[in-house]
This record gives sequence, structure tokens and C-alpha cells, in this order.
Amino acid sequence: MGNQRGIKYGIGILVIIVFTYVLSNYHVALNFILRRWDITVESIFNSDRAFLFIVLLTVIMVLLNEIRNARKDSDSIFLRTIPGLKAVEEAVGRSTEMGRPILYVPGIMDMNEVETVAGVIILGHVAQMTAQYETGLDVPVARSIVMQAARESCKEAYLSQGRPEMFNEDMVHYITDDQFAYAAGVNGIMQRDKPAACMYMGKFYAESLLFAETGNGIGAIQIAGTASQAQIPFFVTACDYTLMGEEYFAASAYLSRKPELIGGVTTQDTVKLMLIGLIIVGLVMRALFDLDIVSFNLLDIIG
Amino acid sequence: MIWKRYIPIAIVGFFGSLTLFGWFIESEGIKAFIDDDATQWYDIIASFAIFLGALNLLKLQFLKVLKQQSGWQYSVVAIVSFFAVFVIGFFMRGAFVVDIPNADVQSTYFTQGAAEEAVNQLKDSGVTASITPAQWGAHIQTEGGLFKWMFDNIFTPLSATMFALLAFYVASASYRAFRARNFEATLLLLAGIIIMIGRVPLGSLIPSWIIMYLLVLVLGIVVNTYFKSRELVFIVVALGLLGVTALFLYLDSTTVVDIFNAFITGGVISGFEVLGSWFTGWPINQPSIFYLPALQEWIYTVPNLAGARAIMIGIGLGIIVTSLRYIFGLEKSYIGDQ
Repeated sequence: MGNQRGIKYGIGILVIIVFTYVLSNYHVALNFILRRWDITVESIFNSDRAFLFIVLLTVIMVLLNEIRNARKDSDSIFLRTIPGLKAVEEAVGRSTEMGRPILYVPGIMDMNEVETVAGVIILGHVAQMTAQYETGLDVPVARSIVMQAARESCKEAYLSQGRPEMFNEDMVHYITDDQFAYAAGVNGIMQRDKPAACMYMGKFYAESLLFAETGNGIGAIQIAGTASQAQIPFFVTACDYTLMGEEYFAASAYLSRKPELIGGVTTQDTVKLMLIGLIIVGLVMRALFDLDIVSFNLLDIIG
Repeated sequence: MIWKRYIPIAIVGFFGSLTLFGWFIESEGIKAFIDDDATQWYDIIASFAIFLGALNLLKLQFLKVLKQQSGWQYSVVAIVSFFAVFVIGFFMRGAFVVDIPNADVQSTYFTQGAAEEAVNQLKDSGVTASITPAQWGAHIQTEGGLFKWMFDNIFTPLSATMFALLAFYVASASYRAFRARNFEATLLLLAGIIIMIGRVPLGSLIPSWIIMYLLVLVLGIVVNTYFKSRELVFIVVALGLLGVTALFLYLDSTTVVDIFNAFITGGVISGFEVLGSWFTGWPINQPSIFYLPALQEWIYTVPNLAGARAIMIGIGLGIIVTSLRYIFGLEKSYIGDQ
């Protein structure tokens, strides 16, 4: 973080803290004014959550600033190479060469999960590539709303590449809402159609390994991306590439190179740096408190 | 454009902000809206959307059968199953409870005819019984009813079969993951073995010194891999074995002098007795870091948890930033905007 940016964020956080303090205590001043009319008001701001409010406003501040910076000059922002995302194009190319389709699984949850939304966004980028390469795309889904969203995303992708005639509504199709019935359906598609590449991007539970091992069995190149922590080891074991946690959320920025999205990635890194600082300060303050050098426990204040 | 872009973005922005900032406001109205109303709206929309999914499923299966595509026979099964469950769920009660008053005995029959026959048989044997059809809606969950029977005897075993496949997949995936191809894979293999053995009763019977001697031998393998020198390997292993032995001499109350004296004064048998007690007298769990149950606990709660938390923080930040991008309308790809 550059010095100038650090100072800017420092001042910003101070302003946010003061604002939150005022918000927590505005009713005191208001009651002081209203006392002559015997009127009292209660604060509707939940002071117990003041620290989280500060964190939220800080993240928003950093996000807006980073996006502004990215809009000014996004080329100078370094995005490290993520092998899993590099491999997406490689997988599409492989499918084209082999004349087999690509199977894209956007998880088993509905659109109320951020991971599913992220999966649908990445699907749009994959669909652009399949449109360019004239490769088949098969997207079995487990939720009707996801089906509609994924169709829209694919349709726009094919349109944007000037290949609307290649888009077929049924390339995104519904199987079932049930977890293992869906797993059975997708595994059946894998066994029958033998896709050259399988991509799993979304929220997964126990079916993750069922997909990944079946894909491995048919010799497909496999790329997975999820924020479901418990499923990451299974994907790492059985897939060729895995986007873990934050890499998965950075995927759309990486693939689109839009300044607004790249700004989001730098925001994650900046906030992470701030959190590391906060953890170190918290550790030191806690140690000082335990040694009776300071009289307050920072962790109690944070809540 | 307005209907397909701006209005959805405005809705996401408004309700997203309300949900996010509503968490910091103490208002029962907002809380009730977020926790109950909004969730119910979502459920209602999702319930209607299921028709789209079901129609799409049927359309594709019918097309497959009509075009005789590969595996069309499975599509026939899917279509028949779909309509069978649909008809049984919506149009057949399938649950007629035969109740014998004063005996607290209930039997459920699929059809009214079967229930009446049972009642007549009971009547012949002098027992009075009555038939109570299950309520519509409740009929799908009535124990012994046709729908519940199908669920318990067809659907549940099929789901369990899929789930059970995981056991085999875990084995094959573990085999691939545990192949010691490089340093990381070897580390994973070692950690996996320690955790697996440390978590079973056998693990608690293995004393720390065995693990320490094994680690010395592993160290010898590492030295040999990198330096290819027999002398060096011999020195490292010999020093390691001596070091471990010296450590246990230190930890155990029996000393080498005691053993030596026992051999000199008491003879060979007495000497071996002391030597044996020296072995068996070693504390099995000292030093505790090499005692498998403690070691696996440490691996699980320290390096594993540290790594998991690092991933979790990354995931949390990713979710926050991605959500804020949606709420502020910075990310529009989810509605098809490329």
C-alpha cells in the first residue's frame, strides 16, 4: 500500500469511527434539545454492532476508492497468474480439438448464494469462449431460478460474440432439486457424453467428489472453483485445477479485466492487509492487557 | 433495457442495502421483513419457478425418446416416474388408516378397497374397526401411505446408494493424493498417516520412542536423498538413535548405571530383567509431541486450523466484496450484461 493511500485510508477510518460514534450517541444530543418539550427519543442504531459497522464502512470506502483508481489506470494493477483460470481457455481448446462438449456445473444451490451467482458469472465468460471456438456447452442445473439466470448469461455471451445462432436454450437444462438425484443425473451425462472438459463452479456439498471422480474416470480435464471450505480438499485431489476461496471470487475480474472488478480484487488484498495489521495489534494489546501494562482489553471493545 | 437491466439492478441495490444496513438498526419491522417476509417471497418465487424446471425436464426427456437418442430408455423411465409420482402425490390419497378403538392399533392401507376388506375381516372375527382417510396434503407424509412408502422404499435407498459411492471415491481419491510424488504430497501422506493412526485405539498403544526412532530413519532417507553420502547418513542416523536413547535415559528413572550394575552383580538374567523394566518403564506418552494421539491433535488444531482460517478469511472477504459489487450495481454479469 502506497504511503499516500495509507494516509488516505487512515483518515477515512478515523472519520468512519467518529461517524459511528455520533450515530451511536445521536439520541443524547437530540434529547438535550428536546428536553424542554419533555420528549425523549431512543437510539435505533445497534451500538453492540458498532465495530462491524466500522468494518463494513471501511470495506465500502476501500472498494469505492480502489475502483476509482482502477478506472484511472487498470493496466498498472498486477494480477498474479491463476493457473486454474489460464486453464479455462486451454480446456475449451481441448474440447474443440476433440470435438466433445464442455460440461459446466454451477453448484447445487440457488441464486441466493453468492457462490452460485459467481458461478453464473464465470459461466458467461466460458460461454463466450465456447462461442468463439464453436464448441458445445452443456449446463445441467439443480434449481429453476439458476436455469433462467444461466440461460440469460449464456444468451448474452453468444450474442456478444456475434454467434446468436449457436445459442440453444436447452444447453442449460434442469435436472432436479435433490442433491444425490442431481449427482446421479450429472454423472450419467458424463458417462454418456464423455465431455472433454468438466468445470465445477459454485456451491457444493457431498456430491463434489462424486462429480470430480467420475470426471477423472472419463479422462476429462477438470477445473473446479468453490468457496465451500469442506469441499476444497476433494476438488484439489480429483481435479486438475482448483480455484480456492478468494481466487474463485477474483475469477470474473481476471477473465473480464473490467476496472470495476479489478478494483474489487485489490480491495480484497487491501482489506486483508488491514486485517493482518488488526490481528497483530490485537495480539500485542491482549498480551499487554494480560501483563497488566494496559488497563483495557481491545478484544472487549471490538466485541 | 429498463426492464431487463435497470429495474433488476435497482431491486438488488434496494433490498441488498436494506438487508445489509438493517442489521445495524434496531427495528422489529425491518428485522421481521428480512427474516420472514423476504424469505417467504423467495420461497414463493422458487415454488413457481419449479414448474419451469419440470417442464424443461419433461421436454428434453420427450425429445430424447422421440429422436431415439442414446440412452433414450432411461428417459422413458424418467417420464414414467415423473408422472407416477405426480399422479400419486396430487390425485391419489393412498393412505387409509384402519383404526381399532380401545386397542390402540392402527394399520394403513394404500386403497379404500383394501382398508374395507381389512375392516370386514376384523368384523368377522368380532372386532369393530373404522376407516379414516388421511387428510389431503398430510397424505404424502402419513406413515404407511403410498407416497411415503415410495419415498422410504424407492427414493431413500437410491439416494443412499449414491451417497455410499462416496466411500469408494474417497478411497480412490486418497490413493492418488497420498502418492509421494513430491515434497508436498509426502507431507500430506505423513500427516494423513499420523491422523489416521492417531485417531484409532491402536495409535494410543504406540509409544513415543517408536515414532522418534522412525523419524530418525526418515531423516536418514532425507539426508540420503539430498546428499548421497553413506557416511553422512550413518552419522546422522547413529547420532539420532543415540540421541533418542539418551533422551529416554533422561526421562526414565532407570539409568544405564543401574542396568550395568544389574548385569555385573546379578548376572545376565537380572541384567535383562532391569533392561526389560527399563524398556517397559518408559513413559509411553513422553515426550508428548511424539505421542500419536497428541501429535494428530496438534496437527489438526494448529497447522490445519491455521490454514483453514486463512482460507476462510479469504472466502469471507471475497463474499463481502462480491456482494457489495452486486448491491452497488458494479457487477451486472449475473443478469447477462457482458
